[in-house]
Amino acid sequence: MATDIVIPSDLWEEDEECVITSWLVDDDGSVQEGALIAEIMTAKVQYEINAPATGTVKIIEEADAVVAKGAVIGTIE
Amino acid sequence: MICVEFQSAADGVAREEALFAAGKPALLLWRSVERGIVVPRSRGRRPGFVGLSMAAARAGWPLMLRSSGGGAVPQGPGTINLAIITPMPVGARVEEGYRLICGAISEALMRFEVATETGSVDAAFCDGAWNVTVGQRKLAGTAQRWRPMGNGQSVALIHAAIVAAHPPASIWPVLSQVEAQAGGITPPRREVHVALDELLPAAMAPHALQGALMRAAEDRLHHLPRRSLDGAAAA
Repeated sequence: MATDIVIPSDLWEEDEECVITSWLVDDDGSVQEGALIAEIMTAKVQYEINAPATGTVKIIEEADAVVAKGAVIGTIE
Repeated sequence: MICVEFQSAADGVAREEALFAAGKPALLLWRSVERGIVVPRSRGRRPGFVGLSMAAARAGWPLMLRSSGGGAVPQGPGTINLAIITPMPVGARVEEGYRLICGAISEALMRFEVATETGSVDAAFCDGAWNVTVGQRKLAGTAQRWRPMGNGQSVALIHAAIVAAHPPASIWPVLSQVEAQAGGITPPRREVHVALDELLPAAMAPHALQGALMRAAEDRLHHLPRRSLDGAAAA
């Protein structure tokens, strides 16, 4: 069963979107739970996204994509 | 010495990142001897960055990378950097970090009867909603980096770059090129910024202000909401 990689929905107050500034793992790459896999930026804050599970990453939203709070940007299978 | 002096801004950024990696509450006030322009690390991955970096270095403003967000920021003897590293409580939002550092700067300046506000300033370098402004001109810019700790808490690096003295005029065309490469439309302009040396009597600045800044930041660190900070707060 896949685990979603989700943009936090309660990290900032406004409904401002964020930008995926980088993926630090390739599509279909293997990761361990807790590893740093992506970075997002909003309101001049760089926020680190850690792997929520161990497995193979499937990227849904590429780097430079603009996404909303709570968006699923990838999965781990 | 209250304000640590590093040879280059890259050294100061490296010290901030080491403190951030440690994840314990810490304060650092610093400036660099050498001039430079610091940009977010994500800019370094953009096409054309190597050429831009070489051109900036030839103009006397080498580019350096940092881990927090935002835009291009001048560094050198005229910029005072305040970095606050702190675990943030469960449920904290990024605005709490901005209120913390802007509040510290505001309180420190109030001791010298300088009133500040926060807000964006059109055509300022590294503009954002959480600039510290005086008379609608930008005095300090702020940015952050957050890392989740896996228990619902995060560690935050909260940073402010305060203009103590205006940078030399040679920086403005370089800043314009750097922002244009990142898609910026409005070139940064000197006249929308204000420097500490315009606001404070020379005899007062900079040491008295540096002491006031550290006291105000320490006070806020100690009064962060203690919920869910067990262990981290004791460091």
